Amino acid sequence: MDWWSPARVWRSRVYRYRLIAGRCKSCGRAHYPPANACPYCGSRGLDNVELPRVGRILSYSIVYTTPFEDKDKSPVILGLIDLGVTRLVAEIVDVKPEDVKMGDRVEAVFRRISVDGGTGLIVYGIKFRPVRMG
Amino acid sequence: MVYITGVGLVNVDRHYDKSVRKLAFEASVAALDSSMAESIDFIVVASSLSYLQEPQLDLASYIASSMGLRGVRSIAVESGEASGLAAVMTAKSLVDSGLASRVLVVGVDKLSDHPSWRVYRNLSMLYDSESDAFYSIGLGGVAGLLMRLYMDVYKVDRQTLAYWPALMHSNAKANPYAMLRFAITPEKVLEAPPVAEPLTLLDTFPLGDGAAAIVVEGRAGGGAIAEIVAVESSTGFQSIALSDDPLKIESLETAYRRLVERVDVKDVDVVELHDSFTITGILELETLRLAERGKAAEAVAQGNFSIGGEGPVVNPSGGLKARGHPIGATGVYQVAEIALQLSGEFPGLRVEGARGGLAVAVNAMGSSSYVAYLKAVR
Ligand SMILES: [Zn+2]
Repeated sequence: MDWWSPARVWRSRVYRYRLIAGRCKSCGRAHYPPANACPYCGSRGLDNVELPRVGRILSYSIVYTTPFEDKDKSPVILGLIDLGVTRLVAEIVDVKPEDVKMGDRVEAVFRRISVDGGTGLIVYGIKFRPVRMG
Repeated sequence: MVYITGVGLVNVDRHYDKSVRKLAFEASVAALDSSMAESIDFIVVASSLSYLQEPQLDLASYIASSMGLRGVRSIAVESGEASGLAAVMTAKSLVDSGLASRVLVVGVDKLSDHPSWRVYRNLSMLYDSESDAFYSIGLGGVAGLLMRLYMDVYKVDRQTLAYWPALMHSNAKANPYAMLRFAITPEKVLEAPPVAEPLTLLDTFPLGDGAAAIVVEGRAGGGAIAEIVAVESSTGFQSIALSDDPLKIESLETAYRRLVERVDVKDVDVVELHDSFTITGILELETLRLAERGKAAEAVAQGNFSIGGEGPVVNPSGGLKARGHPIGATGVYQVAEIALQLSGEFPGLRVEGARGGLAVAVNAMGSSSYVAYLKAVR
């Protein structure tokens, strides 16, 4: 891709490298990534909270229409992940598409997101993988 | 009161030989000719991908100049997939406020100028770049999540959800402006290549180019085709992940509630809604309470919303699925189509005697929604 910038990637490092969410001091609800005000009640009184690293798959999709730069990893498994205090949309990795099931437990892992063809910038972030049993 | 006095539509297709400006010009000339307007005060341009793909900024003034509208006032409106209806709202406000007495609204976008992977990448920017679109969501990743969630929560099978595209293709057959004018069976939808499982290529819109224009003015005169009674809107969550109830499009629910609280919405005989994906169309039917929650797909499979079926006729144009979805232009197509239905002049599948109609636009899966209510002037 050619839309990443070092400044933009640097600014988001805190919540991209760890699962840091915003938490509203007024209504108590968490949201990810952290916003400037609570998306639920509008309050600007927020603090940060680290989200649980284990959640479950509320829904998933096997995505084939991936950008050219990501062709080598197609198809991508996209998940709607429930972490209890909040949910997020993220990629699911280390599993074959046919082995993913609704309700499966997944855990956060630190992975490469993208390599910018233009600038050579490598973008990292959180993905999720199935929790191995036993 | 604000009236539509002229409409101009270009057939949605791969217009390899025509530029954004040429398409906008053709639609505008057709609208101005049909309204017999001698001059306009203002041009409102709705476009979305043009800023990335032409690429061109300050598009409205360049389009105005290329049409020879020397010195006209212009403004561009970009609200993603809802740009068209946002532009109609802007035009109505200009007339309501007295800033303009006659406004040309033109929506235009080209989806076939670039390789499809690049268009898909650009379309992923309709979603939140800080959350969902940080990942490779492609064209339909988030819609795929919602479709599987819908099937799981309501115990609806994939087959039942395949009747929507079949109905859209059937409707589009008679529409000379539609891109896909051929019938498909629900089975064909299931057999099509996957885009974002469980949704397939036939659950989503074709990549086509288009432009649509309307002339909006404050005096009815003899030439009014339809009245724009009101346009309402709302913003929504930046991601479906933040919604406690992602199977309801909260921004659309709010926009529609505002509309019915503001004006008397009645006799809605025709609706053009925003079926960017099968699941989006289904969720909109339920959010607008045209079907019970979890039951819209089944209602469609039973023949509701078709000509002669129960409920208002939905997407007689063929919808985004089959008419096509030139992103920024789509809302203008919808409003033009509803106006032509209300005047009895729609050149495709006609809803005879239609008295009122709704046009619905939703960006992404509800970052914003718009709904316009039009009334016949016959
Ligand atoms: Zn709050």
